Amino acid sequence: MSLIQMNQVQKDYHLGEVQITALKDISLVIERGEFVAVWGPSGSGKSTLCNLMGMIDSQTSGTISFDGKEVAPLTDEEKTELRSSSIGFIFQNFNLIPVLSALENVMLPLQIQGVSNEIARKKATDILTEMDIANFIKQRPHKLSGGQQQRVAIARSLITSPALVLADEPTANLDSENAKRIIDIMHQINLSRGTTFLFSTHDQRLLDRVNRQIQLQDGTIVGDKRL
Amino acid sequence: MMTWIKIGVRNLYRNKRRSLFTIGAIALGLAAVNVFGGFTRYMYTNLRDSFIYVQGNGHLTVFKEGFLTEGKLDPLKYLLTETETKTIQDLCAKDPRILVVTPQLRITGMISNGAVSTIFIAMGRVPSDAIFIRKRATGLIEEVKLFSGKELEDEIIYGVGLSKGLAKKLGLGLDSGAIVMSPTVDGFVNALDIEVFQLFDASIEALDDKLMIVPLKFAQSLYDTNSADRLTILLNDGSRTEAMRTFLEEALRQKGLKVEIKTWRELSSFYRKTKDMFDVIFIFIFIIVFVIVVMSVINTISMAVMERTNEIGTLRAIGLKRRGIIRLFAIESGLLAIIGSAIGVGLTLLSWVGIQILRPTWTPPHISTEIPLEIYLAPDYMIVSLLFLFLLSLAAATFPAKKAASMNIVDALGHV
Repeated sequence: MSLIQMNQVQKDYHLGEVQITALKDISLVIERGEFVAVWGPSGSGKSTLCNLMGMIDSQTSGTISFDGKEVAPLTDEEKTELRSSSIGFIFQNFNLIPVLSALENVMLPLQIQGVSNEIARKKATDILTEMDIANFIKQRPHKLSGGQQQRVAIARSLITSPALVLADEPTANLDSENAKRIIDIMHQINLSRGTTFLFSTHDQRLLDRVNRQIQLQDGTIVGDKRL
Repeated sequence: MMTWIKIGVRNLYRNKRRSLFTIGAIALGLAAVNVFGGFTRYMYTNLRDSFIYVQGNGHLTVFKEGFLTEGKLDPLKYLLTETETKTIQDLCAKDPRILVVTPQLRITGMISNGAVSTIFIAMGRVPSDAIFIRKRATGLIEEVKLFSGKELEDEIIYGVGLSKGLAKKLGLGLDSGAIVMSPTVDGFVNALDIEVFQLFDASIEALDDKLMIVPLKFAQSLYDTNSADRLTILLNDGSRTEAMRTFLEEALRQKGLKVEIKTWRELSSFYRKTKDMFDVIFIFIFIIVFVIVVMSVINTISMAVMERTNEIGTLRAIGLKRRGIIRLFAIESGLLAIIGSAIGVGLTLLSWVGIQILRPTWTPPHISTEIPLEIYLAPDYMIVSLLFLFLLSLAAATFPAKKAASMNIVDALGHV
């Protein structure tokens, strides 16, 4: 069964009385274990596509299924539970909670699920060690470098062992060395755990490493290339 | 839950000045309510004790049925006879809940110093009973002596007390002599000599040039009667006043007596009016505090929501439900309330200690001597105001918290 299936999806926005179509007639399938990049110029609909896949936005028409289950009829609570258990998010600006340490940030998704502090702490420590930032677990985000923050964000996205990780421009704010390191980590996890990664990016360094490139332009898919 | 409390505490630290302002508003509001509540409690307690003990009115007063409405027109008909008085006293003597039952007779007439005459209103009491009742008072009332001169005596019936205004009007002082005149219950005119044993402050300023306190036997002698117009009952437990009234009404009805029994609260209009006035002022203060606390909490939480919109979007994206967002802000609001309330309780205690040390004095409206100003610690006020402010803070946070919870996640994540 496919992880994500989109059929003739359209997304419209209203800016005052003006209607803007961000996505039109999008039909695609994302299989488990894929390492996919959605790319295209600014305003092409990359982020909107990721938001729909991540169930943090709703389509205007068409159907989206996640793990065989249609998303549209789900209540906000059901979507939230599905996100919590099955989807990890990595943001361009890391979006770590500033009042929490690196460890606490990583523990948070598990605590939201109701996992005990002890188990959450153990898992978070393990994954931060895997990310090679075990020495910084007590630091608050503002004391970490961009690369370190992004590794914490990746750890946070993976702590619940999600089926899908959605990453919005994950390397945009990183220097080459850190970008390479982050891409390596994600690729390694994709290979070792079979976690599906879907990136919204126009970073060539990342595009070179994915095994599928979906090209968007003006809200439509103009290319879908498996590498 | 500890995670969310920890996040709440740390978030309060993010904008210390704003949090401190809100905590300060809650603390000062709670202290204001409790200090004023403590002051009103002091007022009410002392007005009550003044009426019951100092003025010797006891907790309950027994009248012949109809006395309060028709007694002025036909006093003889509505006086309690010696036999009726004895029946009531005998009944009460068997009840350990009753400390004293004492007859009283209010009289009016003319008082003259030989050159000038004026009207008087006198309370005729059994002096020993009045002293017993007064000595049952506790606290401030016990300490304050509201008259000068000596105690009245049961056997020296011409020894009376005059209100200071009346004494001044007639140029009388302690140990001065005068004559009082009044019609007897049969309509004849009677006159008796008096000697001023004591001078006191009238509890009502308008009566300060008219009031006298006389021994009961003097009042009965002047009216040429052995009757009394009321029986004052002092209970060992004031909280049982209503229950005792019901009990006595039934017991006296079974004895065939047609009487009505009034509580001290019903008879003391000054207490009721003062309490009503202070209750209204208290409500005003509470409303002001209410508005300040609500506005402060709404402002603090709304600002926090605005500043942390992106964070709210992130939390929602990673799986926190809407009610989780509401809980997060409710915890922050609750923490503000708890910290503010704790400081408010501290300020109240500090005020109480300060007043205990400084012992300020003041002259209340109903007496002319200075008495210590106090505030009482009122745990019931404190608990109610603590709970109320806590719930109020939670309720005030609900609106901005709900707004935060219902934010579109994409918009929240895109917020800068």
